[in-house]
Amino acid sequence: MARLLLLLPTTTYRTEDFVEAAHKLGVDLVCGSERPNTMEDLAPDSLVTLPFADPEAAATRVAEWSRQRPLDAVVGVDDLTASLAAAIAERLELRTNPVAAVTAARNKHEMRQCLAAAGVPEPRFRRIALDEDPFQAARGVAFPCVLKPLALSASRGVIRANNVDQFMAAFRRIAALLRRRDVEASGDAARYLLAEQYIPGLEVALEGLLMGGTLHTLAIFDKPDPLEGPFFEETIYVTPSRLPTGILARITSVTAAACTALGLSEGPVHAELRVNDDGPWVIEVAARSIGGLCSRTLRFGTGVSLEELILRHALGWPIDSLDRERRPAGVMMIPIPRGGHLQAVRGRERAAAVAGVEEVALTAHVGQELVPLPEGWQYLGFIFARADTPDAVEKALREAHAHLRFDIA
Amino acid sequence: MTTETPDKNADLRTKVQDLIETMINPAVAAHGGFVELIDVQDNRVYLQMGGGCQGCGAADITLKAGIERLLKEEIPEIAEVLDTTDHASGANPYYTPGKM
Repeated sequence: MARLLLLLPTTTYRTEDFVEAAHKLGVDLVCGSERPNTMEDLAPDSLVTLPFADPEAAATRVAEWSRQRPLDAVVGVDDLTASLAAAIAERLELRTNPVAAVTAARNKHEMRQCLAAAGVPEPRFRRIALDEDPFQAARGVAFPCVLKPLALSASRGVIRANNVDQFMAAFRRIAALLRRRDVEASGDAARYLLAEQYIPGLEVALEGLLMGGTLHTLAIFDKPDPLEGPFFEETIYVTPSRLPTGILARITSVTAAACTALGLSEGPVHAELRVNDDGPWVIEVAARSIGGLCSRTLRFGTGVSLEELILRHALGWPIDSLDRERRPAGVMMIPIPRGGHLQAVRGRERAAAVAGVEEVALTAHVGQELVPLPEGWQYLGFIFARADTPDAVEKALREAHAHLRFDIA
Repeated sequence: MTTETPDKNADLRTKVQDLIETMINPAVAAHGGFVELIDVQDNRVYLQMGGGCQGCGAADITLKAGIERLLKEEIPEIAEVLDTTDHASGANPYYTPGKM
């Protein structure tokens, strides 16, 4: 039986879907986390604690561990564990992206430099040290611009600034965010931020799988809610995209060029692009699959999940089909409207009853502290819908969301 | 439809309950959690998680890589362990899932 190491942070949304995929494939599953599981002493062959912040140490630990229990694949589920998986897989000579490529993709400044060197369309950018005077730093950028941390994901800490005053406020807010205990920024990510040219236009996300250096586009999602700042909260994703076929082809080719520029060659890719009259612009390319529970919108071939595709590829197993099912699908990441503690959720049944809605998954629990963007990092939950057209999917998601009431105090 | 005899299911229930009481619950109690046996049918064990396990970001890891692994090792005839917990109602999960 093939043995698979899944690297699962204790706080990721991705655990259930990856564990279920591993179970379906019938592999011997080993779960690695950054903190000890309470069952680790009773199940030492399937639970292992690893220093997620130190990939080299984690690779050494797994190399020792796997002498008695050889591994066939190592898979990370988010930005942090993608780097870790590459380091471990490289050490064990298993299928992986080069460590340098994953590291570059994870650091937004390194990513920008790689793309710039390869001529991939992207915003102009400038790295700024957090100990610089923000007033002086602001004089070196053109407005509007977007300030962002080097290593956080899901729009956390991403702020638009239209003038010097807004730049200085955003600068100080990001600096404070990076000092938060739950951020755990280190190295360059704790010392710098990135200022980028604001690119107007529609935003899309591309979900892909790299196989031997070739990008296979699995889905392109429209993001129909305007993402114009000051914060960039992601809400609705709908696939297939309603953009013209020619534009979609350019989105794919630009993303493929970005992957090549970074040196990514194997495994999942999640890319964010802006599209305007000048064509597609790469905002971000991550060596991981889509975040949250959003992958549940995707099914391939005869109902295969995205996670199964990723695990099959990592194991070197055959994949019958990379074709997404034809029926349009979408997800709404339910945003946190304001800070406080969740007291109650009302209207879930009515939201779930909306035609086309498949599931209303509430992931925040009553009593939980809710932190909105740009400091926050969680969602209230996810709404999933399928319908005959992308427009109908979007309508169902909006209608379902309108039924939900969140009491926050 | 069940294919096992009532006696066989009862025997398995007793074995599983014993492991829950003597090994599993003392372990998950470290995170304020507990596990209850709901049923055993056709060699499938139905469990419910509570306390710190209910809604925990690591609940699936605990269940599949921890509890199921242990139960299968100790009781080889067990085919699968299934979670019947309403995790959305968990009020005090040990790890709270976040974006990623």
